[in-house]
This record gives sequence, structure tokens and C-alpha cells, in this order.
Amino acid sequence: MNRTPKILNSKVAGYSSLITFAVLLIAWLAGFSSRLFAVIRFESIIHEFDPWFNYRATAYMVQHGWYKFLNWFDERAWYPLGRIVGGTVYPGLMITSGGIHYLLHMLNIPVHIRDICVFLAPVFSGLTSISTYLLTKELWSPGAGLFAASFIAIVPGYISRSVAGSYDNEGIAIFALQFTYFLWVRSVKTGSVFWSAAAALSYFYMVSAWGGYVFIINLIPLHVFVLLLMGRYSPRLLTSYSTFYILGLLFSMQIPFVGFQPIRTSEHMAAMGVFVLLMAVATLRHLQSVLSRNEFRKLFIVGGLLAGVLVFVAVVVLTMMGVVAPWSGRFYSLWDTGYAKIHIPIIASVSEHQPTTWFSFFFDLHILVCAFPVGVWYCIKQINDERVFVVLYAISAVYFAGVMVRLMLTLTPVVCMLAGVAFSGLLDVFLQEDASKRMGSIGHSPAETDEHEESLEKKTLYDKAGKLKHRTKHDPAHDNGISSNLKSIVILAVLMILMMFAVHCTWVTSNAYSSPSIVLAFHNSQDGSRNILDDFREAYYWLSQNTADDARIMSWWDYGYQIAGMANRTTLVDNNTWNNSHIALVGKAMSSTEEKSYEIMTSLDVDYVLVIFGGVIGYSGDDINKFLWMVRIAEGEHPKDIKESDYFTDRGEFRVDAEGAPALLNCLMYKLSYYRFGDLKLDYRGPSGYDRTRNAVIGNKDFDLTYLEEAYTTEHWLVRIYRVKKPFEFNRPSLKAKERHFPPTNFISRKNLKRRKGYIRNRPTVVKGKRTLK
Amino acid sequence: MKLLRHTLCGALVLLAACVFYTAAQAKPKTLSLSERVQNLVEMNQKKPLLRFNGPKFREYVKNTPRNYSMIVMLTALAPSRQCQICRHAHDEFTIVANSYRFSPVYSNKMFFAMVDFDEGSEVFQLLRLNTAPVFMHFPAKGKPKAADTMDIHRVGFAADSIAKFVAERTDITIRIFRPPNYSGTVAMITLVALAGSFLYIRRNNLEFLYNKNLWGAIAVFFCFAMISGQMWNHIRGPPLVHKTQNGGVAYIHGSSQGQLVVETYIVMFLNAMIVLGMILLIESGTSKGHNKNRIMAMVGLVLLTVFFSFLLSVFRSKAQGYPYSFLFK
Repeated sequence: MNRTPKILNSKVAGYSSLITFAVLLIAWLAGFSSRLFAVIRFESIIHEFDPWFNYRATAYMVQHGWYKFLNWFDERAWYPLGRIVGGTVYPGLMITSGGIHYLLHMLNIPVHIRDICVFLAPVFSGLTSISTYLLTKELWSPGAGLFAASFIAIVPGYISRSVAGSYDNEGIAIFALQFTYFLWVRSVKTGSVFWSAAAALSYFYMVSAWGGYVFIINLIPLHVFVLLLMGRYSPRLLTSYSTFYILGLLFSMQIPFVGFQPIRTSEHMAAMGVFVLLMAVATLRHLQSVLSRNEFRKLFIVGGLLAGVLVFVAVVVLTMMGVVAPWSGRFYSLWDTGYAKIHIPIIASVSEHQPTTWFSFFFDLHILVCAFPVGVWYCIKQINDERVFVVLYAISAVYFAGVMVRLMLTLTPVVCMLAGVAFSGLLDVFLQEDASKRMGSIGHSPAETDEHEESLEKKTLYDKAGKLKHRTKHDPAHDNGISSNLKSIVILAVLMILMMFAVHCTWVTSNAYSSPSIVLAFHNSQDGSRNILDDFREAYYWLSQNTADDARIMSWWDYGYQIAGMANRTTLVDNNTWNNSHIALVGKAMSSTEEKSYEIMTSLDVDYVLVIFGGVIGYSGDDINKFLWMVRIAEGEHPKDIKESDYFTDRGEFRVDAEGAPALLNCLMYKLSYYRFGDLKLDYRGPSGYDRTRNAVIGNKDFDLTYLEEAYTTEHWLVRIYRVKKPFEFNRPSLKAKERHFPPTNFISRKNLKRRKGYIRNRPTVVKGKRTLK
Repeated sequence: MKLLRHTLCGALVLLAACVFYTAAQAKPKTLSLSERVQNLVEMNQKKPLLRFNGPKFREYVKNTPRNYSMIVMLTALAPSRQCQICRHAHDEFTIVANSYRFSPVYSNKMFFAMVDFDEGSEVFQLLRLNTAPVFMHFPAKGKPKAADTMDIHRVGFAADSIAKFVAERTDITIRIFRPPNYSGTVAMITLVALAGSFLYIRRNNLEFLYNKNLWGAIAVFFCFAMISGQMWNHIRGPPLVHKTQNGGVAYIHGSSQGQLVVETYIVMFLNAMIVLGMILLIESGTSKGHNKNRIMAMVGLVLLTVFFSFLLSVFRSKAQGYPYSFLFK
């Protein structure tokens, strides 16, 4: 930990490393335990939607081995298309937990793979905080690093994606992101091939784990580019970037899902362009040292123009020829913010792709969001090569977080780091007690110097002031004119704010981010007891026990992964929304009338239809509330048959009561949701058929289903499953078994042994109208 | 050659029109169906968007039988009517009409027309309208139904939504072709040119580019803009303020899902004050003068605590059931 050559006092150094170790350990423990709310309240269970797929894939890999997993063709998804799983996932997550599983079993620790999956993200949060510490230490000071590590351990913006059970790519990707950045900054600082190769390896891990690696491969070139603009070119930069880029490029192409994208798509072109530019600059530098001034100038102008034109033409031609793919929709919508809303409803329909209000910034980051501009300010004031990086990181991440709620995740680490800088600077000033010892405080520290051991000791000591008992003794004769009373008031106020931050984090984690969303809990207002709604698992279990093994289940895409993961049945569409037209077909089936959708369902071989209905318990995330998106997506592909305006009333309202649009009241989704609901009386006083989610009495109460029949409805009606009848089942009148007797007739069969009809094998066929020749 | 053909055509049409006119003279008032179609096509040659007054409207739109659909915009363009959106609507409608006129799907099955209130107020009475603009579709057969009036409150009147409405009602899909808008490009070029010339004029004194305070201020301001949700405002376009039920003005949106423009400015200001407070506190550590330091520290402390607690209470008012507050509720 202490590589500073100037160790004045070995005792101090020992203490400081002990404190560093202790703080990081505590941060890890605190981070781990604050992510366990869901496990303690419910059970050790995989959450939400995407994690179910990751879990299923991991379980498959553990069971069948790595190569089987790479070649896995999943015929249970996207029926009848299937999905090539090995080539369409980022396998880093599965490899990580599979590796841990393998290791533990080698040590004879029999842990179920599910438990590893559940606890993977909390464990990795500790690693994230360590790598954040390392990065911040490189950028500023160890004290700021400890602050940043403690912040990121508990900040809700990161917890939201890494609670126990939320087994998703982001859980490990943020660690990989921070660690790559740490190695990159280290390699820029030292210019050593070792560190940049390590950065490339870490980048490889990131590419294997999350699609967000594109952020790295654009931010690092941006850093290099800005350094070039600022005239901060150095041979160190050349070494580290060229090593990183070449190795990183080769590594990233080893992931099957990424393949040749790094040399063929626009998202990766910036990195290549900067690489070429850096090479050009290096060449020029070299020529400058060789040639005379006039020659150089001539060469510079001609060569520069020629190279610029050449590169531009090459890029344009390649794009036109289709060798380089243009920006994909998801990335394009980051720049042109109105794009997704108009052109890609399936992206716009996901709630985490919405822009971010100030409320969610404050909700996820609390005081840090106010403090991090301070860090930006001081990083710019005392700029050096690596602080350019953190400033660019902050600016770009804050922009992306503003455009998309989901990208709050990439903002969170940098906010923690910069807020750490701010707070450690603040406490540096006010925890000063001896003027003679003060050397490296924030106002003075020269840009490029390493930290002094004394200040290291002070900072690490005082950064823990909130948890340790800090010294109250103050020297009355200090140099900066702030009385000790004022100092203690300031310290008290800052500690108060930090304490509120910790309390806020816990509250948010406990209230907002710890619901597994497949098990719902609600508090009974009368006696305050907690009720558990386990309808989802009830329904999925029913499916797995009572349907044929190859039964095909149609549902909206949100529930595809869960059906595959828990019920182990074939689904038509799932959360990997790669095929828009298939989703639109399901949307069309849901929004057409029963008769029309029966045609679609038979063409897709659907056996069961599953809908989520929250009207009985007032669950707002049900299919009727999502219904308009189904209509929109269906309309995008079938504008002739589905029209969004048909589902609104004349006044443009979406309502399910008697005034609702007739197209809505007769569509399949409506019927499946409200079948027999009109007979249900929820309250003694209230009317029958009262929908609690939408606070309305439903408009179409008495209807029967012709083409489907109810197969199962869970306890709170949350999940309803219908069986699609076979064509012979509804075309003829149904007769009960005991009514199926036939009146005796006088007919006696004349068939006996002699007269029994049979056929002769290889009988010659008689061609009529021709006489056979003898 | 082309001109010649056009004039020839025109002459022919004129001749035909003369013939028809005389024929119409003989049998006054009502034109036959083919005549009307002919006239419409002819008028459409000159203008993609037909402008009708009362009698013409009756003649070509109300009259039966028809074998063509009409998309009619009823509007009030006169400046004295003070209809701001009518002007926008007219522009958009003209774009649709132009796109249709010069597209391959153009035929004599559908025409675009408009009626101005000051030229045909009887049309408004006839259709019992008292608002403008209104977009209506008059189908080839039968009377317009409720769905034949475009719901501009819901879908707006952008050219794309008008085209979508037309496609819904008539099955004629118009691809909107907008005259390219160069204003953005021009503005960009002017900006770049201005910046370039500014740099060129000051080429001997480029010190300000190395001014860290300037860059710091820009970066910090950008952060403020983002964390106060300006991007959300840009995408969603919320109103400036809300009116409450009892007549007052609400600056803060009540729920956590939305925000008002003024609210974001307030939050931006609060954030800026907190940042200022923290910077003052940190700066007070640099020894300049004892008094100055003390004042800086005190001001910084007050700014930090007061504005942070203020921000927290704004947050609390939006989040239902949030239990914590600092200094004041």
C-alpha cells in the first residue's frame, strides 16, 4: 500500500495501512450487509426478470460444461425461432459465478449455484469499493480514496443494481469498469507496458461482462484525444494507449457476441481514429527532431491535409459500402434524444430508458450529487494527466445519466470519487490541529506531486473521524484564523450531513431497491401485519407441474425469462427483445379480438396464454397498464390491423369502464384479464367487477370465451393462465361423457370371418378404359 | 418542350372547361361528378392545397355523389383572429398536401382543401364548429363520422400525424417530404465561424484558453444543468409552473415522477449554493488573512447547511413518506 519512498516514521506507516485496511474491510462488510434486505425479508431468491435468464444460463453451464454452453441453442425461447444463447450473451457473469462454484466444490464446500448467483453482486460491491479506492488514490489522495470507497459501498445508485438476488451483468461490470480505469490511469502515469496490458486484460473482462464496455472504449480515447489537444503528449501516453488499444481490440473480439463489431461499427470508430491520430502525432514528433524547421513545416501542412482527407474519405466510403455499421438505435438515442420516442417504441417502452429527473439524482446520490461539482472544480484547478480523465468521466457520465435513468449506474462511481475529493479536502482544512505538520492539504498540493506521508496519516486518521472518537484538543495558536469553535461546528455539520447520507442510503435501499418483484409484500393497514403474495411462483409452479413438457406459453415479453426460468416451458418472446416483429405479433394477438387472435395463436402453436392481472389487489404493473405499449408495438409492424386510436375513447382517454373504446373492451387482453371478474365482489358495499388498480367498474362484464378456456388463476388473481382450445373443441357442441350414449338399432353387422374386408398387397392397379392385353 | 406540352395541356383543359362551362350554363347549379373531379384536378395543378369558400365547399365537398375523399382543414388565418397555432397547423398541412401532390400515390381519389373562417363562415355554421383549426376527412361514400375529425389534442397536428390520420382514414400512405431545414446548419456554421474569428483576432492573446477558472466554471455549470434535470425538461417539455386548485401557483411538482421548469431552476440554484459553500469552506484553509478566512468559513458553513436542508425539504415534499430532514422541515 505504501510505495512512497519517504517513510519518515514506520509506526505511522503501519497505522495508516492498518486504518486503510480496516476502512476497506468495513466498507465491504457494510456494503455487503446493506444489500441483504431482500434476502432477510423474503428468502434467497433470484429477482426480477433478466436475472432469471442469467441464472438459467449459469445453471446450464454448471450442469453441462463450458463448451456445451457456448454452443447452446435454446429451443425453449422465441418459439419457433429459438435462440443461440452462446453467441448472444455476455458470458462474463456466468463464467464468474461458475468459476466460483467450481472453486468452492474443489474445496469440498457444497454450495448450490443459486446461492452463489444471489450473493455474487454484494460480494462484488466490496471489490468495486476497493478498486474505487485505488483509482481515487491515483487521482487525488488516499484519504479521498477511502471516502470514495465508503461512499460507493452504500450509495443507492449502485445498490439499485447490486442487491442480493439481482444477478445481473451490472453487478460485476461496475467493478470491472472501475478496475479498468484504475489500471489505465496507472499506466498513463507510469507509461509501463505492464500496467496497460493489465488494463487491456481488465477491459477484456469488462467486455465479457456487459455491453457498457462501449463507455470505456470511448472514454479512454477521448482522454487521449483531449490530452493531445492540451499539448500533453508524452511517450508514456503513446506506449500505454497503443498497448491498450491493440490488446484490448484483440481481446474484445474473442467474445462471440462482440465478434467483429470492434472494427465494424461506429461506436468503436473513435478508438481507432484516436489510435491513428496518436501514431501521426508520434511520427511528427519524431520527424521534428530529425528534420529542419522549414522542411518540417512543409511536410506538416501537406501530410496533415492529405491524411485528414484520406481518413475522412475512407470512413465515408466504408460507411456507405456498409462495411462500417452506423450507430445502433440504442446508442443513437443517447445523442438525438427525441429519436427513440418516434422510431423505436420497444426502447421507449422500457421505463429505465427514460430521462432522469432531479429527484432521481438526489434520491440515488443524496449529498454526493451536490458535492461532486466541488470535486470537478478542484480537479480542473489542479489539473494533471489523470485528472483530465476523471473530469471527462464526470462530464460524459453526467450527460448520459441525464438522458437515461439506467445510466445513473455509470455516473455513481465517478460521483463517489469526486465527492470523496471534496469531503477529504474539507476535512483536511478543518481537522488541522498542528500548523507545522500541515503540508499537502488541498489548497496547496502541487499538481504532480505524490502525497506526503504525514498528510496520508492525517487524512486516513481523520477520514474515520465519524467512526472513531476524534480528538477534541485544539491548538489555540493556529495560522489560518479560524477559531477552534468554528472548526468543531463545521466538522459537526459535515459529520451530520454524512450521517444523514448513511441514513438516507439505508432508507432508500430498504424501501425502494429491496423488492424481489416476484414475491410481493404489502402491509395490512388494520393490524400492521405483513402479507406475502406469492402468486407468480404459484402460477409458474402450476405450469411446470400441469402442462406438457413442450407446451408453448404466450405472454408479454416481460415474463418470458421468468416462465423459462421457473416453469421451464417454451416461450414465444422474452426480455431479450431482439426480434421486434415477433413481439409485434404477440402484441397483435393480445390486442385483436378473440377470433382474430386465435388465428395468430394457432399459427404460432400456442398452448397456453398467461396474463398478469392486478385488479383484485391493486397491483399497478399488470398487463392492462402495459397494454398500450403492446398496441403501439403491434401498430409499428401491422399498421393496417391495429390502430392505437381505436383503443382510446373519443376524448382520448384510456379507460376500462363502460365508456371505454369498444376495441379495447373486446380485445383478447381485456377478456383474459377480466374473464369472470364481473361476478367478483371485492367489497360488501362496492359494486361487483370493481378494478382496484384503475379504480373503475369494468365495462364488459358478461362474456364467454370461445376459443380459450380458463386453466388456472392464482390466489389473488395476479396471474391467470388460459388454455387455447384445439380446433375440434369449439366447433362442435360439447357433450358430457354420460350423455354420450347411442340408441340401440336393429342393425346387425354382416361381417364375419369370410366377408371381412381386407386388402391385397401389391395388387395390380386397374387402369380404366383400356383393354389389357393377354 | 415541356413548357410547350404544359401550355398545350392547359389550353386543352381550358377548352374542355369552356365546353363544360357552356354545358353547365345550360343545366345550371350542379356539376356532374366527372366535371367536379376534372375541376379539382385542374385546380390542383396550380395549387396543391385548394382554398375553398362557402359555395365552393358546398359544391365540391358536401355535394353527392362523390368518388373522391377530401381532407379539409378549417382554420382562421386572418391576423385579427389571433390564432397562433392556426399558422403552424397551416404550415404543416401545406407540407402534407405538397408531399401528396408530388408523390407517386397522387391520384384523383383524394384532395386537400382548406376553408378560412373569414371566407366561409357558413361552413363553420354548417358543421357546427366553433374552434379552429379542425382537420376533417370527408369520405367518398357516406357522411363523416366522429372518427373522421382528427383529434389534434391527442395526436397534435405535426405533418407526420396528419399523414398518419390520412392513412388511417383513406388507406393512402403519404410519405412526408419536408423542405430541408438549413437553419440549424447555418446557425452552427455561424457559431463556428464566430468562434474561429474570435480566436483569430485574439491569436496573440490566447491566455484565456488556459484559464482554469473558466473551464472549471463551464464544467461545473454543465454538471448543474444535468443534475437539475434540464435534459428531462428538454425531452418532456413540462410547463413552467402549475396552477393549484385554490388559484395559487405551484412551483414544485407534487410527485416524484415529474418536475416543473421553475422547480429545476430552484434546484439548480440550491445545488450551486451548496457547492459554493463547500468551496468557500475549503478555500478558507488557504492562509490569506485571518479575518477573511474566518468570514469565508462562516459564510460557507451557513450556505452549506441552510441550502442543503432546504434542498432536503424540497425533496421531502416530493417523496411521500420520506422521514428525514435537516435544520428545518
